[in-house]
Order: sequence, then structure tokens, then C-alpha cells
Amino acid sequence: MSWLRRVWPVVAVMLATVALGYPVALLFGLPLARQRMNDLSNWTSQTVAAQPVARVPTTPSTLTFASAPASGVLVRDGAPLASPYRQDGDTVQLGAPLARPAVTLGAALRGPLDAAGLVYRLPAAADTGEPLYLNGTLLHAGAIQSHERADGRVTTFTFDAASGPVAVGDRVLIQGRDYRAKGDKVVFANPPDFNVDVRRITGDYAVLDAAKGIVALARPAGAAPRLGVDAVRLAERLAGAVNGSNRTFTLAHAPLVRTDPSRQVYLDGTALSSAPERPRERVDGQRARFTFASSRGLVTVDGQLMSPGTQYTRDGPVVTFTQPPRRNAEVRQYRDYLVSDVRAGTITLATPPKPGSVVWAANYTYYARPACGTTVMQCFASMPQHPVPFPNWIAARVVPYVSHYPITDQRNIVRGVLYTTAGTVSALLLGGAFGVLLAVLFVFLRPLEQALLPWVIASQTIPIIALVPVLLLILGNVGITVQTSLIPTALIGAYIAFFPVTVGTVTGLRSVDPLALDLMTSYAANPFQVFVKVRFPAAVPFLFTSLKLGTAAALVGALVAETESNNRRGLGYDIVGQVQAGNVSDLWILLLISAALGIGLVALVGLIQRFTAPWDRP
Amino acid sequence: MASRSEPTPGGRAAADAERRRSATTADPAAGRPEPGPGTAGGGPAAGPGAAPAAPGPAAAPPTPAVIRATKVCKTYRVRGTEAVALEDADLEVLQGEFVSLIGPSGCGKTTLLRLVADLIQPTSGSLEVAGKSATAARQAREYGFVFQAPVLYHWRTVIANVTLPLEIMGFPRAERRERAAALLAMVGLEGFHRQYPWQLSGGMQQRVSIARALAFDPKLLLMDEPFGALDEITREGLNHELLRIWGQTGKTVLFVTHSIPEAVFLSSRIVVMTARPGRIQTIIDVDLPYPRSAETRESERFFELTTAVREALRLGQRGAYGVTATTPTAGEPGGGEDDATP
Repeated sequence: MSWLRRVWPVVAVMLATVALGYPVALLFGLPLARQRMNDLSNWTSQTVAAQPVARVPTTPSTLTFASAPASGVLVRDGAPLASPYRQDGDTVQLGAPLARPAVTLGAALRGPLDAAGLVYRLPAAADTGEPLYLNGTLLHAGAIQSHERADGRVTTFTFDAASGPVAVGDRVLIQGRDYRAKGDKVVFANPPDFNVDVRRITGDYAVLDAAKGIVALARPAGAAPRLGVDAVRLAERLAGAVNGSNRTFTLAHAPLVRTDPSRQVYLDGTALSSAPERPRERVDGQRARFTFASSRGLVTVDGQLMSPGTQYTRDGPVVTFTQPPRRNAEVRQYRDYLVSDVRAGTITLATPPKPGSVVWAANYTYYARPACGTTVMQCFASMPQHPVPFPNWIAARVVPYVSHYPITDQRNIVRGVLYTTAGTVSALLLGGAFGVLLAVLFVFLRPLEQALLPWVIASQTIPIIALVPVLLLILGNVGITVQTSLIPTALIGAYIAFFPVTVGTVTGLRSVDPLALDLMTSYAANPFQVFVKVRFPAAVPFLFTSLKLGTAAALVGALVAETESNNRRGLGYDIVGQVQAGNVSDLWILLLISAALGIGLVALVGLIQRFTAPWDRP
Repeated sequence: MASRSEPTPGGRAAADAERRRSATTADPAAGRPEPGPGTAGGGPAAGPGAAPAAPGPAAAPPTPAVIRATKVCKTYRVRGTEAVALEDADLEVLQGEFVSLIGPSGCGKTTLLRLVADLIQPTSGSLEVAGKSATAARQAREYGFVFQAPVLYHWRTVIANVTLPLEIMGFPRAERRERAAALLAMVGLEGFHRQYPWQLSGGMQQRVSIARALAFDPKLLLMDEPFGALDEITREGLNHELLRIWGQTGKTVLFVTHSIPEAVFLSSRIVVMTARPGRIQTIIDVDLPYPRSAETRESERFFELTTAVREALRLGQRGAYGVTATTPTAGEPGGGEDDATP
């Protein structure tokens, strides 16, 4: 029970440290997670498109759509329909029959091309974007990629969806023969080829090869699907008053992708351009007059919208700023509109639309949600590399990390620890012996101390990291390399380990009680007897204290030496490897192992002290 | 043949002291029972006042002076200024005597002791220890030194501390053990051979230190305030011990102290010293019979002697501050002892 009383403070401190790991991890990780969450480039984007009619209408006055914007506008061929209509959710009641049918069904797809009756070919590859109708009903496209990448060896793939046929490249595989599905996991009989797309069809169909026009249906159909050409679509009407003076309109979904090539905004039947124009002149900080391609538009400097009249004046394509923009400022002109607020999804038109006109969008992309999750905690948990992982995440890595290489492999961590221990111990022995020798010489030959001490101190001011490569080159020249020998490691460790030993031993040898020396004088003892019987024993506690410091230094030396080696041995090599691989948890494991090694070696020195110098109070 | 004291003021006291010393040495049995020659070879001092009854064979020839200091001066040089630590010290210590040096701080008593031990060299004057020069005496290992601190080597066990001087002097292993065990038994530390010094109390440590000083059986024991750092109770106990050991071994002891009762209780003679410059003020003979016991401390004579020493110290103090140049007469009223003060 007495050992328990001695051990519990240590255990308590360790537990407290581990517990402290959590708030520290959160302290470091949460700002990063928040940053990741706020960084739009890490968000999943979603596309809004004008919806084709979901079902080829039987009654020409009612049109149904699969999904509809809250405020829609019926369009055909890039222009709103003139005829009156009323939208009610997903259905639109037409006030007057259309001049042409809402959907004209085009050619049927060729196929099926496979035994299962799933794969079809479009009449032309250019038809990829056109809607497909099967028996008069619109088909929804949808496919998701597997989490794993096909590398030619992996046979097990995981999907976010638990059902649907699996396609590899432009082939749809047959369940039971080609693969077995277990929920969201799919095990292939043969590994898919390197870099091939492994997908699961989640919608009604999926385009497997856009270039060849290959599509696959989710389930076999009685008839071939047909293209819907010249379909009436329901597009999104932008929110905002059309009163002849308002220029700002808001899209239904935000935040917007700022440079979105797919975005199509229309004013009535005219497509608006959001392409920025650059001035012809260089922005050198002096010039205030710039010439653009068009003679109208919105002018921005560094993304800030300039107001005409006060901040600039326009004379055709020539814009004159009252204040010259700073050197290399981004001066841009947007002819039709610009995205004035990405987060709110607001656009600003160059000229206010006339009353009665419609501002609508056929296509645009917005950021739906952060890829890492919808809460900061989710993002924190999904972050692959934390500077400070949760202690249990580190703990979870211990077994995979330690068992990653078998004991027969030099890279096995147990062998790495032994290798580093061997290096440290040899460095300590060498450095300790040299340090004690130097100390004895210093104490007995004062001129030697005066001559050498400045150099000894100077030797310790050389950063070891700069010295090591030079030393290794020199040793390598005479055939001693860190790859094959412990000598370089021992030398490097000894180089920094000897210093505390020298200093401590000199102090110890000089620490003798003057009365103890007087006593030796009274015995008429010779100098050798004084050294052996008094000076050296008196220095022993100092020697051991400095040896403990030297142990820590020798470990540093050994680790640094190993980082310079490429023999794949030792903790130092492993640390560099894990830094390069970016395995933070493994780095933490290595840190803990190195710390434990250092503590263990110092404790070993303490144990030796207890056996060889038992007089010191415990 | 007598230790001559030279009191600061003049020759009267010195002459007196000389007379008295001669008398004692010439006829030990006639005077107060004194140790020294009588007990030197005589083993344990037994019955009260019986010790001198058997002077022993060593007493027959004229007793040689173990220490003879003549006009010894010691000057320290501290940053260019000279500090006189000891001036014209004349002292003779006979074999078997127990002589105490007492005086205020800076009176040179420790300096005198260290001069005798050859730990420092005199600036002038001559010093003879055991018939040789101080250096030769040290090299011949004629004395054992006991410091104020025990100065035990903490990496050695109690017995190894006692055998240390024997190791240095090349005694065979068996004899080292034997001697150390006997001495530890004498100082009452039989069961502590294997302990480390820090496991002992201060008094026990000092006893180990005394045993160590006696290990190689030196003629002379130099003790520099050995009990100064101990509490009163331990100190008195050790005083008894020391007297017993002294009686058993018959060593000559030169003992530095600044405790008046201790000096009176232990010594056969007390050398009273004054400070700035350090010199010998007077020498007081202690005629209390050996062996001394707790009753000795209660005796009237003990108090008279303490008073005499205190008076002498007070005189020295006054002289040192230059209040009066004629100390001898001022010493009269406090003393009242014909053989201690003039």
C-alpha cells in the first residue's frame, strides 16, 4: 500500500495532464475548425437550375415541376413566356394555352447496350444536358462517388448511399457476379482499374461517360427513355422591386460562388454578363483616367463599388477618378451586373430594370454547407490534422502506430527506441568520461582551465543542428557513417553532454568543505589521497546531477543525429518522417515516447546513483 | 619547565605564574590533584582525587613541553591592510595537560590552535610541537584535530570516518577496524558503525569526530570549540565524556572555547586571551580535583574560578579598548584567588 501512496501523486498529475489535453485541444482546434467552417472554399456547392416540366402534360393548362422556386418564372429558350400564368407550389396554372407544347419529346436513346438493360447511349453526346423522359415522366440524374479511390488493388468501397446499382467507369456491374453489397459497403470480385470512377447511381439515371453520351438507368425500363427538347422550364425570379430605380436583386440561395461560369442571369430575354473588364492603362498610383471596353457599367476599385459623380466621372468608356487609385489596385468595370454581396446572394445591376421587366436566373451555384459539418464541433472532429489532438485520439493511434511495422522491420518503433537508447547511452558514456576528465584537469591545472574554458563555453554556443552535417561529412570521409555506426551519434551526443558534466564536476570538486581539506592537511595526506578520499567523493552528487542533465543533452544529440540519417532507424528519423507525412497524432506519440525515454534514462542514472552513492539523502 | 604566561601589563603576574607552575610540576602530589603526567599512562582516572596519588612511571622524568610557543605572531593581510591576529604569544603546554584557550571573538585563540596544527604559518616567532617544528610535527602526525563542526565525510559510514586517518597513514585493514571499534565503544557509539553521519545527532557526530582524532593515537589533541554548536545539555554531557576519555588516554589537550564554565570544568589551566590585537592576557590554574563530576559544578571553588576567569576577560576587554593601561591592579578585587590572579 505504501507504493500506492508514493505513486498516486504521479498518477494524479498524469491524469490531470491528460484531462488538460481536452481544453487545450479545444483551445487550439476550435478556432481552426471555425476558420475551416467559414472558409467557403471548403463548402460543398450546389447548383440551382431551371426545372423542366416533370411530366409531359395531359391537360395543357396545368404544368407540374419536380421542384420549384418560391417565386418562379416560366421560360423557354432564354426568355420568359408572355402568356399569363399562376404558380401554386410545384404546379403552374396557365391562363391561356401555350402556342407550342410544353415539352417536345425528341429521339429515343439507343440501347440497352448491356444484358441487364440499364445502359443507353444518347443520340448525340451534345445532348448530355437535355432532360430525359421515360413514359412521359422526367428522370432525375444522380450518382455519388465512392470514398476510396481506385488504385488497382482496393476491392472494398464505401458510399454515402446504401442502395443503387454500382458503376465502374462506363459499365454497370451486376450484383452477385461482379460485386457484393453490404449496406454502404461494396466488395468487388476483381479490383477496379487504377483511377477509374467508382460510382453508385442514386437518382433515376446517371451520365457515366459524357463524351460518349453513355447513360445508365437505376432500374431496367420497358421502353427506351426519350430526350425532352424544347421544354418549358420554371426558373427562379430574383427578389427585388422592379420599379425603375432599384438595381439590387437577391437570389434565393446564398452564399454565392463569386466566379461562377455556370451562372446565368437574365433581364427579360437578355443574358447579362458578369465578366469584369480591365482598364487599358496600368494602375500606377498616379493615373486617374482609365479606359474600358464598354461605355457603361459598375466601376469597382479593390472590390469596392465606386459611386458615379462623387468618386468618378464618366465620358463614354473613359472613367476619371477624383482620387487616383493606389498602385496596382484592382480597377474593374462590370458592364451588366456584379455580385455585390456574396454572403447574402445580392447582385447589383448596372442599370435599373424598367417596370414590368423580369430579372431571373436559369442557373447558378451556391455554397450549401461546410464540407466538414454544420457545427463547429463537427468540423473540429472531422479535421484530419490537429495541432493538439484529443488525448483519446492519440491513444487510439497507439496500437496501429506501434504495430505498423513488425518487430523484424528496422522501422518498428520498439527497435527504434532501442536504437536511440543505444545511441544516447553511448553518447552519455563518452561525454561523461570526457567531461569528468576535463573537470579533473581543470581543477588541478588552473592555467589549463583559463586557457580552455572559453573554448569549452564557445563550443556549446554552436547550434548543434548546424554542426551535425559538417561532422557527419567529416566522419563520412573516413568511412564512418551514421547509417552503419553508432560512433557519429555518440560523438554528437557527447559533444553537448560533456559540458554540464564538466561544469558540475568542477563545481563539485571545488565544493569541498575547507575544514575537510584542513583535516586532510592535519593527516599529512598526499594530493592523490586528498583527491580520492575527499575531493572526488564530495563531487559525486554534483557529478550525478550533471550526468542527469547530460543524459537529456545526449538524447537530444542522438535524436538530432538520427534526423540526419536515412537508415530508417531510431526515433529521430521517425519524427522527421511523421512531420513530413503530417501525422500529428503519431508525432504526439513520438513526443511521449521520447519524453518517457528521457525520463527513464534520467531515472536510470538516479538508480545508479542510489547504488553507487548511497550516502546521499533520498 | 613551566608554561609561562605573559599578561599584558607587566611581569608581576608572569613571575607569579611561573613560580606556581614550577611548584606544581616539581611536586605534583603536593598541589591540587592534577592530571597530566600522572594520568598519562595511568589508564582510567578512577576515584575522586585518587588519580594523582599514583603518578605512574611516566611522571618520573622531567615532563617535556608538548607545545612551546615563543613570541609567536600572526598577521593577516587583507586587501593591503594588515590585521594582527596574534601578537607575541608565549605558551608552554606540558604533556598530559588540559589547557583551554578562552577569549572574545578575534582574540586569536583559533589562530593559535591552527598555528600549532601547522594549518597556517606564523609571521614571526618560534613554535615547537612535540619537540619538532610545527610542520615536522604535522607530518609526523603528532596531533589530532577536532573542529567546531564535526567535519565528517558524509559519504562514509561512521566507522569508515574513524578509519579514514588510519587508511591515509597506511594501517592494515584489521587494525583499522579494531582501533575504530574500540574508539567508537569509548565514545559510546557501539551500535552506530554502519550509520551515515546525517543519521546521527549533532552530539553523536562530534563524538565520532573525537574518536577519529584519537584513531591514530596522537600525543596531542587540538580542539577548536568542539562543542560550540551544541546545546547546553548535550555540551555538558560531552564535557563529562571528554574528561573521561582524557583520563583514559592521557592525551595532552589544547582546547579552544568561549564558554567560561566549560573552560573551568575541563581544564587544568586556562589561557585567557584578549582581542585586537590577540594576545595572552593571563593564565589561570584550575585546582579543582579530578575526576570532576556534576558536583564539581556546584562547588564554591568552581564559582570562584569562573568569576576569576570572567574578571580576567573583563580586564582584557577594558585593556583592549584602551580604557586603562594598568590592568593588573584592576584585576585584584574580582579574583581573590592567590594562585589564579595576582
